[in-house]
Amino acid sequence: MSGFGWAFARDLTLALRHPGGTMLTLAFFVLVASLFPLGVGADPQLLARIGPGVIWVCALLSAFLSLASLFADDFADGTLEQMMLSPDPVFAWVSGKIAAHWMVSGLPLTLLSPLLGLQYGLSSGTLVALAAALLLGTPVLSLLGGACAALSLGARGGGTLLALLALPLFVPVLIFGAGAAEAAANGLGAAPHLSLLGAMLLVSAVAVPFAVAAAIRIALD
Amino acid sequence: MDHTFFLAMSYGATAIAIAAELVALALGRKRAWKHIDEERELEAQD
Amino acid sequence: MNLFYLSSPSTFFHFAGRLAPWFFVLAAVLGATGLYVGLVQAPTDATQGEVYRVIFIHVPAAWMSMFIYFVMACYGAMALTFNSRLSAMMARALAPTGAMFTFVALWTGAFWGRPTWGTYWVWDARITSELVLLFLYLGYIALANAFEDPRRGDRAASLLAIVGIVNLPIIYFSVQWWNTLHQGSSVRLTGTSMHVTMLTGMLLMVFSFWMYAIGAALTRVRSIILERERRTRWVRALRPA
Repeated sequence: MSGFGWAFARDLTLALRHPGGTMLTLAFFVLVASLFPLGVGADPQLLARIGPGVIWVCALLSAFLSLASLFADDFADGTLEQMMLSPDPVFAWVSGKIAAHWMVSGLPLTLLSPLLGLQYGLSSGTLVALAAALLLGTPVLSLLGGACAALSLGARGGGTLLALLALPLFVPVLIFGAGAAEAAANGLGAAPHLSLLGAMLLVSAVAVPFAVAAAIRIALD
Repeated sequence: MDHTFFLAMSYGATAIAIAAELVALALGRKRAWKHIDEERELEAQD
Repeated sequence: MNLFYLSSPSTFFHFAGRLAPWFFVLAAVLGATGLYVGLVQAPTDATQGEVYRVIFIHVPAAWMSMFIYFVMACYGAMALTFNSRLSAMMARALAPTGAMFTFVALWTGAFWGRPTWGTYWVWDARITSELVLLFLYLGYIALANAFEDPRRGDRAASLLAIVGIVNLPIIYFSVQWWNTLHQGSSVRLTGTSMHVTMLTGMLLMVFSFWMYAIGAALTRVRSIILERERRTRWVRALRPA
């Protein structure tokens, strides 16, 4: 996994040097999640019911916002081609890039989610389940989204095409992620949902980078 | 709403979908020939 | 005859042209018979009354939506492995028909659900994954057409089709894995709990849709071949100036 290290470090450094992108994603997340209580009204029972789902949808949309630049910037200036020439396996450095992407999109969202959950009046058990679900689910979003971003490199239709490809693939993660928090809220225990999310994470962490590598090869031909 | 409504909506929509696809197939073929003729004309102008 | 000749677009063009009408004829005959058996001969259902007759469209459409996706993904795999142009064109030819059957399955399912379950839509596992399948088809079509170079579109879309195949077992097994509203399988390889006339009608419609799908794909691929190969001599010769 020698490629993982340098790709992860590089992308993370780049992201931290230009914190604008990360800040934008987080700001969007917080903003949209805060708009819902204003629009829907302050009925605490209603907010507690829709809270997990709303926060998850906001996480999805925020993750989606930062996806386009995952490979596109490097593709545009030729860096991606250089990375393909590296002796390290493509699987490794692709995983590194996606991990770095998660560190500056999914991870901050996960850490912020308890604060947003409080806005919806979620109980502490629900908040824990929600954060755990986001912790397991957001890397899957980065992986699946990364595959879609690689597939649509250099395509016409840009963001809309990416949405059409990525959002349907996000649906199972959304269902189990929001389901975990709702199960906890109803006292049913989130373990089954969290196990499924964990399984999704394991499978996609192992399988998706190969698909991304194939997509990048196709894009660079 | 009795069963006739639901059956009609189901069978009707299917019929429309199949008809629409057949029309699209015919239009696609026409469009392909049009492109071929257009290319031929463009090349003849060279 | 060497089957590999069929992989040349010009040979396949003529081959498909001769075959396609027969598939449409078969589809019409099987469809007419199936509809007769289903709508006239099959008895009224004990629990659902007459409205169960949607099954003669709903189940065949759903099966075809999955089967066509599977075949499309296989062609995609062939396109990527063998770099075969024609395989990619066949995959593109199948996508709209597959999307159509997926839509029909969802629509007829909704109009079956309303009188029987009380609701047009429910977010259960099978229905949701069928909806995801529709978006996979639409995404395939969008991705394939999103590039200047059609070969790039072929390859990207083929990869998408292969990756999306994960959805098929989810659709199929979802009724076993979860307690869902959608009913479980009534037709299995080992036997069925359905009344024999209803089963006959349903199977006739399945084959009808299958023949239709082949006919539609063969017709569509001819247009695709014409567009892609429009600069070749053999295409130009088809329409003397």
